[in-house]
Amino acid sequence: MKTTLALLTMTAALFTLPAFAADTLFADMGGQPGIDRLVDASVDNYLADDRIKATFDESNMDRVRAEFKVQFCQVAGGPCSYSGHNMAAAHKGLHLTNADFNAVVEDLQAAMTSCDISFATQNRFLARLAPYQHQVVTR
Amino acid sequence: MKNALPALFLLVSCAAALAADPAHTVVQSGRAFRPAEVSINRGEALTFTNNDEFIHQIFVSGLFDSDERSPGENLTENFTQSGTFEVHCHIHPKMKLVVHVK
Amino acid sequence: MRVVLGASVLAVLLFSQAAFAEDVSPGMINFDEGRLLATGGVSAVEGEGGGGLAPWALITGYGTRDGVGVTLHHTYVGLPDYQLITPGIAVGLFDRLELSYAWQAFDTEATGAALGLGQGFTFHQNIFGAKLKLIGDAVYDQDSWVPQIAIGLQHKENDRGAVIAAVGGKGSVGTDYYVAATKLFLAQSLLANVTVRTTKANQFGILGFGGDKHNSYTAQIEASAAYLVSRKLAFGGEFRTKPNNLGVAKEEASFDLFAAYFLNKNLSLTAAYVDLGNIVLHDHQDGVYLSLQAGL
Repeated sequence: MKTTLALLTMTAALFTLPAFAADTLFADMGGQPGIDRLVDASVDNYLADDRIKATFDESNMDRVRAEFKVQFCQVAGGPCSYSGHNMAAAHKGLHLTNADFNAVVEDLQAAMTSCDISFATQNRFLARLAPYQHQVVTR
Repeated sequence: MKNALPALFLLVSCAAALAADPAHTVVQSGRAFRPAEVSINRGEALTFTNNDEFIHQIFVSGLFDSDERSPGENLTENFTQSGTFEVHCHIHPKMKLVVHVK
Repeated sequence: MRVVLGASVLAVLLFSQAAFAEDVSPGMINFDEGRLLATGGVSAVEGEGGGGLAPWALITGYGTRDGVGVTLHHTYVGLPDYQLITPGIAVGLFDRLELSYAWQAFDTEATGAALGLGQGFTFHQNIFGAKLKLIGDAVYDQDSWVPQIAIGLQHKENDRGAVIAAVGGKGSVGTDYYVAATKLFLAQSLLANVTVRTTKANQFGILGFGGDKHNSYTAQIEASAAYLVSRKLAFGGEFRTKPNNLGVAKEEASFDLFAAYFLNKNLSLTAAYVDLGNIVLHDHQDGVYLSLQAGL
């Protein structure tokens, strides 16, 4: 009896989630100004992170920041159309590992926190970025 | 007809040799131009071959700004002015090719 | 026995390096600490990575598929009439294989005296665990319904064979087998796990395996849910059903409500309210669960 009740409660809890709520993520992240601020803060973090900063040694950082701003806008559901390279082609030569990808996630989390984005909203954004691991990590 | 055949063969092989002239080919690999410096005559063309694992493009300020090329692709650019030019890549700012055009 | 186990773990560590790793040089053990915080779960009561009561499909530690991680834990469970202390160690290899060892000491306190065994009579178990991740990645597969799935076993050896036989138990050694499916619903900051276990263990093996009432494997179910409050803090609950093999005492499902705090990738603390139901002479064995995990 106790077991059945617990099982039912947990199942109910999972299914009463606002799975079909309106997508407000872009606004919740501060729109384009918020995204721009986040990209600049996160890229600063990547360049200060000994684990991954060498990845950017040969990159055009102005271009990288600009591309992130468009891409994050699109991923967050904003009115942008990212016309850059497909993620696999753009990252293939870097031979990135899961550790590299996770370091970026951690630096991004720190930047989102410094931009006062709530933890719940951070996770909504990260959930959309997570599958890029399949294309970005090649080693 | 029999006499024309050797001449035709010579013509075709000359054309083929000119098209694949290594003196006018620059390879992009390791996010660098190889060689890093070339000399050509005015009006000649350079073929840029992307042998790298990265997408590249090329530009010379004030002269030309190319589209991107993926690994395995190439593009050809004519140098119609004399002088010394620096070829760069917007994506990889450390890439530099010096071209001396006589 | 423990020396042999330690040596075996080390040997497996070194040899599986060659089998699973790609461009890590042979013989190099890479504690890369590359996985994200909290993604190794905590150490469960039988020594494996998971929640407090249930094994999860997550591999313990923070080693990515290119490295290894090791965790040490110490757990205390204080109940009205009993006490459990269980230290243990686990290694995660290439985010694929997990090997664990836990030692359990279950103190019957005054009940020992009541049963004629002596005040503070203690049962001990050695639990050897192995877990293999089969498919899925709980963290990255946010675009799929497929959970991370692992299979595992727990081989348990109890040192009180005579007492076990006296209460109707059929053996002092037994092995549990399980399948665990873990899914992180990152957009909802929610983790869920379901584990199905086949077992003959009485009270997790503390009262042996099989019994006078029932002496074959039965399927049991375990479920956990956790809400991620912040990068470092998760709240959750679990339940776990248990067999009823012994005539001498009914066995009930276990529950817990927990808070897990991840200070950093080297230290985490879990505190829970746990309800283990009836244990032999006493009903309502509920109390506190405290566990500390340290790792590399």
